[in-house]
Amino acid sequence: MTVDFLPIPALIERIDRRVHDHHVFSFRLSSPLTVAPGQFLELSLPGVGAFPVSSAAYPSGGTFEACIRRAGRVTAALYGLSEGATVGFRGPFGNGFPLSAFEGKDVLLVAGGLGMAPLRGLLQALLNQRKRLGRLILLYGSREPELLLFRPELEALADSGTLTARFSVDFTTELPWSAGRFFCKVGLVTELLEGLAFTPDRTVAAVCGPPALYTCVPEELASLGVDPAAIYLTLERRMKCGVGQCCHCVTGGVFVCRDGPVFTLERVRTIENAI
Amino acid sequence: MRSFHFEDGFEERLFQAIPPEFSRFGPVKAGDGVCRLQPVAHWAELNLEALPLIPLKKFLLPPRDELWRLEPSGYRPPAASAPLALAGIPPCDLYGLSYLDRVFVDDPDYRRRRQNLLVIGTACAPTESCFCPPREKAPPFDLFLASKRIWVGSPRGEALLGGLGSDLSDELEGWLPEEMFQGQRSLPPENLEELFLARAETSLWRQVGSRCVSCGACAAVCPTCYCYDVVDEALPGGPVTRHREWDNCFFRTHALVAGGHNFRPGREARLRFRFEHKLLGFGELRGTSSCVGCGRCGRACPVDIDIAEVLTALTEGGDR
Repeated sequence: MTVDFLPIPALIERIDRRVHDHHVFSFRLSSPLTVAPGQFLELSLPGVGAFPVSSAAYPSGGTFEACIRRAGRVTAALYGLSEGATVGFRGPFGNGFPLSAFEGKDVLLVAGGLGMAPLRGLLQALLNQRKRLGRLILLYGSREPELLLFRPELEALADSGTLTARFSVDFTTELPWSAGRFFCKVGLVTELLEGLAFTPDRTVAAVCGPPALYTCVPEELASLGVDPAAIYLTLERRMKCGVGQCCHCVTGGVFVCRDGPVFTLERVRTIENAI
Repeated sequence: MRSFHFEDGFEERLFQAIPPEFSRFGPVKAGDGVCRLQPVAHWAELNLEALPLIPLKKFLLPPRDELWRLEPSGYRPPAASAPLALAGIPPCDLYGLSYLDRVFVDDPDYRRRRQNLLVIGTACAPTESCFCPPREKAPPFDLFLASKRIWVGSPRGEALLGGLGSDLSDELEGWLPEEMFQGQRSLPPENLEELFLARAETSLWRQVGSRCVSCGACAAVCPTCYCYDVVDEALPGGPVTRHREWDNCFFRTHALVAGGHNFRPGREARLRFRFEHKLLGFGELRGTSSCVGCGRCGRACPVDIDIAEVLTALTEGGDR
């Protein structure tokens, strides 16, 4: 594949500003891109810079939806734009989640913070094949209730019985914290595993969150009996090129941008300093 | 590989036979004592003893390389590059070129420049501070000169020699010259990756890492260090452009991600990361050492960290 650094122009079509500094942007692409859950694009603001961002929706095509945290110089510039502004995209990059691996299995999604965004893309893809899945469980940890992403739709999915959802928050001003029919508690996302009724040997898990989450959740799932080859993690690195050249994302000799960012725990165990 | 003997004065005739559309560059030691790849008009100006401080990567992957500029009609890729001839390139740098060719095989900007590059290699005079690469196979070159003999490495080299046939002997048998490899000082052992991973926590990295000042000079002068940052520029009233610029894995921001987490926060981790690239390679080049033995890193290092010494210490048990 020839490397191409020219972005495809795109318009900001809609901005959902409900969660502070975690806006959900919908872009209309000037030519369609097929982005699998777990794959990422490089979002360009010409003259400012670019950053990697994964898809928060499925399927993609003429539109691309992403939850983007205001975290630095380029994302701050993006937050200064309004609907109708032009940006650019390169990609898609990386491998994405293998959807066929989830077929016929119980599915456990574990998200921490902004890690909910790529898992929401995966969740939508899985809902497309809901009949071919067993149970669908989401464990989602956030700093505070106000920072829970996609809350109304997750609530609706839980209410309809499509999804079992359990939430945790680090802090809350209201105690006891309650959020409708969700199971929620103050504490770490790992605590949501306590008393959770699921069948480890029938479960495929997908985990996405900050580095601290990766240091405990994947191995804990394995110790509960989930096959390490059925635990998928998507790793975050500073991907600049997306094509295995610039070397920023390399860990243990592996280009996370190209060979990942989705790896099984079985593989991650063999990659030095992966988590 | 075809080769021929030649007589005195041939080098200059060869140099002048380079087609006029090529700019001609080679190693020249300037008044400040620094050897650089710079424009040359005659073969005799070449300094074939000293290695240029910055290797030929500066032509193929310029320190600041425009990827596109935004025009009213859209993104415009960079213009085609001009033909360039490099003469007096030593074997280690030819092996470095071979490595870059593999890494950037899919990169259109690199390939465009590479296709416009004529390379005339020469044997060099190895010093105490370098070691030649293992002689697995010939590095890429169009022509290579050593001991009054010339080797032909490509159709382009063949064409250049075409007009000079009367200066040459009958065709010779034989492989590349011994001079190409005479500086061999130490070789990575077979089980290097195993050693490297097994000794992740060894005091070697702590000791060497505590001396390292993270200046990045070693990576800047390395023929096979190529990592880059992507940087935009929008000058008031001027064009909007995106460049890739030489980056450096010794810089703190290299493995920093949004939110402030740094995957290689300490000098020790960053030093080991560079050695991992040099000795073990990344991606599909895992298992291929990218160290070509030129010794530039050791000479550029302000605290005398020497890759050959680190390699020896790693092989011998991890402490020095």
